Amino acid sequence: MRLREVERGDGVGNRLLIRFISMVTRMRLPDAARVAFYHKDFGGPLGAWTQAAMRGPSPWTIGERELMAAMVAKWNACTFCVSAHSAIAAKQLPRTSVDRALADFRAAPIADGLKATLAFLEKMTVRPWELTPDDARAVLRAGVSAAALTDAIAVASLFNIITRYADALDFAMPTEEEFDRAGVMLLKRGYGSR
Amino acid sequence: MKTSVQPDHRALAEALRRRVLEGPGRSDPALRRAAAASAAGGPPAEPPYDELARQIGDAACRTTDAHVANVLQGTQSEKAAFEVIFAASVGAGLLRWERAIKALEEVTDAPA
Repeated sequence: MRLREVERGDGVGNRLLIRFISMVTRMRLPDAARVAFYHKDFGGPLGAWTQAAMRGPSPWTIGERELMAAMVAKWNACTFCVSAHSAIAAKQLPRTSVDRALADFRAAPIADGLKATLAFLEKMTVRPWELTPDDARAVLRAGVSAAALTDAIAVASLFNIITRYADALDFAMPTEEEFDRAGVMLLKRGYGSR
Repeated sequence: MKTSVQPDHRALAEALRRRVLEGPGRSDPALRRAAAASAAGGPPAEPPYDELARQIGDAACRTTDAHVANVLQGTQSEKAAFEVIFAASVGAGLLRWERAIKALEEVTDAPA
């Protein structure tokens, strides 16, 4: 973590909370959670949008939305977020589907609508200035509703933000087992800590 | 209470933009807007902030300790440096939100 105050927590209450959670869970509180606790008044709207997009009502399952997050992280080369969100996705979807999507989503055993949506999200992430209505039309032709594509765009927008500050701040990498345990907590509690 | 109504992503995106790029903080909102614009491929922010903002927009995974240290030296406050990093990230993310929603809205009038 490149900013020490984010790692430690701002204010006595947050410092104690970080220590308490780390003690109870017997693992270092991941940096993503430390950011969520930090300067809450400033980042609150991001937490609210993330909770709504990742856990709110949607035609997409939680597993599919977590897979989208992991894919955006992959396209942005954010190792922390790939590990974190593929771990959660694999609790809701078959592990082989998640792994194969990360390797090559076009050849993965996932629904055609999800594949078409991921193709849109990839272009949106990597070459946003090249997006055209034809890209959206291709997703709709695959049977995805406009409302579902809107939800997917929200997930990808959020993870184009989150992956960037995760890498800029240089989040510490938990172990695979710690990611797994953190994933259980995120499934249970959601993203509503802000 | 849970409802079956889908989130109002447009309102949530606007609330994020307003808070991070216009709201109060330890840093000047004009600096945050400049960092966001630079990360979205717009005009450069003033030194020493532009190098980090542009890096966050182009490839945040290649951010260095020096990028962040230079910003910290400029802001003289970790909270203000955090705000600049956050604002640059939001700038890059909201650019994608706007481009993608525009592409979709040109096909349909579906609410975002």
